[in-house]
Amino acid sequence: MSWHDVLLVALGAVPGAWLRLRLINHFEPMLPRRHWGTFGVNVAAAFALGLLVALERRCGLGGSGLWLLLATGFLGSLSTFSTLMVEVLQVVRDGQPGAALLLALASVLAGLLALQLGLLIGAA
Amino acid sequence: MRRRLRFALWELALVAAGAVPGALLRWQLGVQVGPLLAAGAGGVAASNLLSNLLGSFLLGILAGPIPRRAPLLLLGGIGFCGSLTTFSSWMLDLVRLNGQGQEAEALTLLIASLGMGVAAAAAGLATSRRLLPRLVAWVRFRRGLRPPGPLRSRR
Repeated sequence: MSWHDVLLVALGAVPGAWLRLRLINHFEPMLPRRHWGTFGVNVAAAFALGLLVALERRCGLGGSGLWLLLATGFLGSLSTFSTLMVEVLQVVRDGQPGAALLLALASVLAGLLALQLGLLIGAA
Repeated sequence: MRRRLRFALWELALVAAGAVPGALLRWQLGVQVGPLLAAGAGGVAASNLLSNLLGSFLLGILAGPIPRRAPLLLLGGIGFCGSLTTFSSWMLDLVRLNGQGQEAEALTLLIASLGMGVAAAAAGLATSRRLLPRLVAWVRFRRGLRPPGPLRSRR
């Protein structure tokens, strides 16, 4: 663990988290009742990660610095698992287990599709 | 205009103060703890699951009936928990395991993450509902019983 690597992860994490805050606040002004903000941020990050993996395979970016900055730092911070879980839990506690299952499965399905799409576009 | 800029900078500073340790912890969990849990892609997936569960538990605590101040939510919730947990790497882990012919492991990771993630958030919520009020009451009780000691009165 060098200070250079620490700096790269931190430099990626700050804009990722800030962008997530702005996007989620934009879609859900006050109460997290509608879950489009988290959903959109996660799917977008999955797509971008697929693109990044494909580009790394193709161009042989090799150096892990770009990976630390973009994948570990930026995209890892942009996407969130904890918010999704708390949202699913809130929907369950609202007495809608079906809707909670739908939200969880739709997020996973859309995330997987977005990642595959990113891989395809990056490899094309 | 100036007030809005100052507010935006304050918000950015709080989020950054949470996001940097969150992302560093996730990264170091992957580097240090991942290889101990499993080899190759499985270790990365296991360490990501670990940070996801930890973040879900902590965010569950924040979602409970605690005094929720905006700085706490920005720093702890959006910043730390949001950066500690990751959705995109989870997706990549699923695709990688599936691509290596470990379909059963991928399906297990998918179901275990969802089930244990919701359970971790629920455990965090229960903690802040039941345990934290008792803890606060206990601390107040102890403080009320004890007269201010010499160390405190000297100040």
